[in-house]
Amino acid sequence: MTAIAPHNDQLLAVKKLRVHFFTGAGVVQAVDGVDFAVSPRETLGLVGESGSGKTISSLALLRLIPRPGKIIGGEIIFKHEDLIAKREEEMIKIRGKNIAMIFQNPAYSLNPIYSIGDQLGEILTWHEKLSRQAANERVAELLQLVGITDPFSRLRQFPHELSGGMKQRVCIARALLCSPPLVLADEPTTNLDVTIQAQILDLLQELKERFHMSMILVTHDMGVVARMADRITVMYAGRICETATARTIFENPRHPYTQALLATMPRVDHSYSDGKTRRLPVIPGRIPNLIEPPSGCRFHPRCPASDDECARILPELLSLEEGHWVSCIKAG
Amino acid sequence: MTAAEQPSTRKPPPKHHGTRRLGMWVLGWQRFRRNKTGLLGLVLVGIVFLVALFCPLLAPYDPNDQSAMLEFRSKAPPSWKNPLGTDRMGYDVASRVIYGAPTALVVGLGSMAVAAVIGIILGGFSGYIGGMADEFLMRFTEFFLVVPIFIVILVMVRIFGIVVVGTPLEEIPYLNLSTIILILGVFGWPPIARMARAEFLRLKEMEFVEAARCIGVGRAGIIFRHILPNALPSLIVIIALGIGGSILMEAMISFLGFGDPKAISWGQLLSFNYEFLKIAPWASIAPGMAIFLTVLGFNLLADGLTDAFNPRLKE
Repeated sequence: MTAIAPHNDQLLAVKKLRVHFFTGAGVVQAVDGVDFAVSPRETLGLVGESGSGKTISSLALLRLIPRPGKIIGGEIIFKHEDLIAKREEEMIKIRGKNIAMIFQNPAYSLNPIYSIGDQLGEILTWHEKLSRQAANERVAELLQLVGITDPFSRLRQFPHELSGGMKQRVCIARALLCSPPLVLADEPTTNLDVTIQAQILDLLQELKERFHMSMILVTHDMGVVARMADRITVMYAGRICETATARTIFENPRHPYTQALLATMPRVDHSYSDGKTRRLPVIPGRIPNLIEPPSGCRFHPRCPASDDECARILPELLSLEEGHWVSCIKAG
Repeated sequence: MTAAEQPSTRKPPPKHHGTRRLGMWVLGWQRFRRNKTGLLGLVLVGIVFLVALFCPLLAPYDPNDQSAMLEFRSKAPPSWKNPLGTDRMGYDVASRVIYGAPTALVVGLGSMAVAAVIGIILGGFSGYIGGMADEFLMRFTEFFLVVPIFIVILVMVRIFGIVVVGTPLEEIPYLNLSTIILILGVFGWPPIARMARAEFLRLKEMEFVEAARCIGVGRAGIIFRHILPNALPSLIVIIALGIGGSILMEAMISFLGFGDPKAISWGQLLSFNYEFLKIAPWASIAPGMAIFLTVLGFNLLADGLTDAFNPRLKE
């Protein structure tokens, strides 16, 4: 497998990553041979519906797969080192310092019993061996950067005293404390209301530029990736469907799943009436049971373009043009 | 970002009264304060603590003073000389009851300290690790729950009392009482372990624990900084309940005559005096009330703490 990012100086390259969950009902093949890469200062959008393995893929980068899940194969090359081969003690030094994560639910991702200053300072005293005073100053500086006014008095406040948008800003500040080269944002705006969503996205964009970070943005919201991502990887049922620049994905999607996903996006400039009824297009069927995934292409039972070949052949990720990769036997 | 560029001359946010340190505890106290029965429990427990601390000042006589016997005033009714009367051995009932308070508290707190250490370690380990270790530890806990503790304690206290005779161990003061405390602790941990397990199971899945892992907090930091402090409110409730239970248990043991003869305890006073209930009722009623009020106090306190820390249960 050659590099699937446009540059060779990749920050992160995930190759043939496989994560399985060993449950009582059987082995859930949650992530089954996933490739993606992130270049420095790039935002990669990881898109897919619930259960497509996008969150598990991002947790795998930190080696924090919840039990009974296990990484059973593949490579995660970060800064020329394979994270899968690392010992747990080495991973602890990577988490937060080199790869940080922003969570979906800001309300629950702050410990209720510690003040903002205490819980953000924890990281700095741990990773950077700063004194409390220095840690407090750095925390306040970052709170200022994420748009929190009067940061020094916020240090003494508790999570329950902040609003949802404010908490997400605090979480973003926490992710950035050690200036990590890579930030994973797992649906960072899903639980916020729309006006706050836009502010948080702007903030992420601005901070990404300022800190020269790369970002992996995990989301199911095509609108969010359209706005944020340089490149987009579309996932379905634990496999990659298509990877291309954001522009290509929106203008020239080649995988039937990507096309269907884009068609389901409601648009104001589009009429959905087909004579009698007015309804949004949907993708028929539901995401497959990953204990016994469909044979061949995992999307074939729901795919409008599928035929007998699709049920037999597991499509490889193939390059259509420079930087545009598709795993569909029909797309060639 | 416009918010960031605002001049920092704006007024500081209004000061919240009291929510500065350890928000959860302060919030809990604010809810607790509104709970009348919980406050009553706190007052009762507070009185017991004060009496225990200042017993030499409060007691009118030495607890081992039997001089009333010499004046033929044993079993005397309450009077100015003896506020709660004297018992059949000529002891001043009020002094004995007052000196019973430290014993009761030492038994309650000591046994629950032992139980809490065992319970939190086993329960926390069980909940955090999960899997087969969890299964095994919980079956072990259930084994302790079905054992008829009271009979086991009586047997162990008696056997231990016989075994130490003639050994250097005999010299240790309050050996018998220490044994009772230890045994109460060793048999009292299962409810604490179950609560600790439940809390660890719940908290280890919380997003803030996940978030802490993601920023590189190690296992010890996760357990002691992020999970345990959040589990403490529930644990304190069950420990407060256990203190009342232990005090009652010790009273029962002493009443049956298996207690420490050298330690003055309320159960022992009942045991000495219940045969004279018709002649000198005050000698039985006073320690009985002391047990009742102390145990009631701890139970009401535990109840109030439950409401304060789990307000959802009430709604």
